[in-house]
Amino acid sequence: MKIIGNKITTNMSLFAFLGFLIIVFSFTSEHFLGIYNITSLLTNISYSGIAAIVLTLVIISRGLDISIGGVIGLTTVVIATLYSQSDPLPVWLILIIGLSTGALVGLLNGWCITVLNMDPIITTLGAMAITRGLAYVISDSQSILMFEDTTDFISNGTILFIPIPIILFLITALIFSIILHKSKFGRAVYAIGANETSASLSGISVKKVKMILYVLSGLAASISGIILVGQTSVGMPQHGIGTELEVITAVLLGGTALSGGKGTIYGTIAGVLILGVLFNGLTISGVRYVHLQIFQGILLLAAVATYEIKTRNEVAT
Amino acid sequence: MKVWLKKLIYSDDIVGALGIFLVLLVVFFSVMTPHFFSLMNFNSIIGNIPAMAILCLGLTFVVLVGDLDLSLGSILGITAILAVFFFKVMHFPLWLNLISCVVIGGIFGAFNGAIVTKIGINSIITTLGTMALIRGLTYWIAMDVDAMQVGRITDPAFLNFGRYYFPEKSRLIPITLVYLVILYGASALFLNHTSFGRQIYAVGSNEATARLAGINVKRVRFVCFIIAGMLSAFGGLVLVAQLGLGEAYTGQNMILEVVTAVVLGGVLLTGGKGRLTGVIIAVLILAVIRNGMVHLEQVTDISFYWRDVAKGVILLLAIGLYSVRKSFNAKRLRTRQ
Repeated sequence: MKIIGNKITTNMSLFAFLGFLIIVFSFTSEHFLGIYNITSLLTNISYSGIAAIVLTLVIISRGLDISIGGVIGLTTVVIATLYSQSDPLPVWLILIIGLSTGALVGLLNGWCITVLNMDPIITTLGAMAITRGLAYVISDSQSILMFEDTTDFISNGTILFIPIPIILFLITALIFSIILHKSKFGRAVYAIGANETSASLSGISVKKVKMILYVLSGLAASISGIILVGQTSVGMPQHGIGTELEVITAVLLGGTALSGGKGTIYGTIAGVLILGVLFNGLTISGVRYVHLQIFQGILLLAAVATYEIKTRNEVAT
Repeated sequence: MKVWLKKLIYSDDIVGALGIFLVLLVVFFSVMTPHFFSLMNFNSIIGNIPAMAILCLGLTFVVLVGDLDLSLGSILGITAILAVFFFKVMHFPLWLNLISCVVIGGIFGAFNGAIVTKIGINSIITTLGTMALIRGLTYWIAMDVDAMQVGRITDPAFLNFGRYYFPEKSRLIPITLVYLVILYGASALFLNHTSFGRQIYAVGSNEATARLAGINVKRVRFVCFIIAGMLSAFGGLVLVAQLGLGEAYTGQNMILEVVTAVVLGGVLLTGGKGRLTGVIIAVLILAVIRNGMVHLEQVTDISFYWRDVAKGVILLLAIGLYSVRKSFNAKRLRTRQ
């Protein structure tokens, strides 16, 4: 019961901070709470939010995926290149190929990490270079225009006035919070992160779980890529540079520990929202872009320092 | 079997294998392309690596104690801007500029080190935060520098800091090569032949044991962060002198390449193991690929963008083989017992 209590308070303080930010920004800018700004804010965070949700599971299992940005870039290029052929494949097939690009990279990552026993940081660092490089090779460093109805609908369409990226983000969050917090698979993820040897001894097939996680992470990055293609109408190899660090920042801000075994989907949602609100709010209040990074850095350090000091106090008592 | 061959296959050290791979790469590009094998091209390869090599040296110190510093690229960036600012606006002489920048780099390193050792936050998270923080500061300062239109440096005394050749006429040995030899040589001596250097390895291989042996673990880690910061600042100065230009985005997205080189060089991310010889060979391998692919594109149809793919594949292969061999060796030992 105590553990559950702590979990709730961590998330509560995050959402309280989020509320504080929203109140501050609604005073500094009259447009902040406008319906147009809120939808654009939520649409913008959905893109990296989907990747962040899945990365949460990977980090809880004591892994890491740095290849997210590279996969996003490669997916946009693959989709746009296939579509720009003189006799293009049907769109649904192109999208499936795009999705399987990410899944394939995830499979490679998972294979190296589970079978060859390689460090996840090193493996995904290599995968990042490979995916980014392939994106440059395939596109020959050009931007490939892609005006197409389906991807446009996925990124800019609405269902009941709600933009589809937001719906995708919510569905992903819902599915993965059920998987992580209510299913056997989720318990296995926590167990692996807390202690891999004891998880393995208690009958969890560690390799299988990890493999699935990395494939899902690649898949999520590809979905982000598809949304990006629709939003920008262009596939280019520079898409998604730096996204991996942004996504990791959001996950860590949400209270997930890099040392594994700890973290929640709600925390990550709060982390994604806080980063999004902060960037949007500061921009709309007239703060110049150059100062945003300073805020982002201070915020991450302050949040993690708070967790650290809090856990230390808990251990002391 | 020959002893050296046995050593190559079974030892935990990947430096020998890396060296052979580098030679093979050079031979490959020399055979395939007409202009690769020339003094001028080798000087251009050497001219491209100093900042990268110096950052790798700094990161090696941090990784050896088992931490990671992602903010080194940002420290290099802020130094680049500050060097221009000090030189053009404050009119510092070169020596003062050099000292101020290196000290400032050291201060940023100390900031990282203090958060990691005093508060106890994971070094990846800490430096992810300071990376954004320092880059933000850099853009802030750069706005003023841009407004004053002082970005470019044309003063020969400053430029020679990164562009001088020994002897000057025949352009045989670039000054940057001298820096690299001195820095890597001094660091290797420091790591292998001083008690503090051995403490760095001790802390990285087993922190608890090191503490029990009476080593001030936190101080060792703290000092490594400072060394990394100072080296990055020096790398930034060399880069500014080479380019004659300091920009806000200098060194952005550089850090992941630096991590790649250090890891490829056989430095364990968990700390305690790794040699500087391996790191510099890894830097050279990446530089040779970068340069060689451009030459290769001219004679064949292969796009030089394959270089990034090659980089990733080599990293995965090297570390994959290393980890397969490690488990193979462990099995071999077990069957012997």
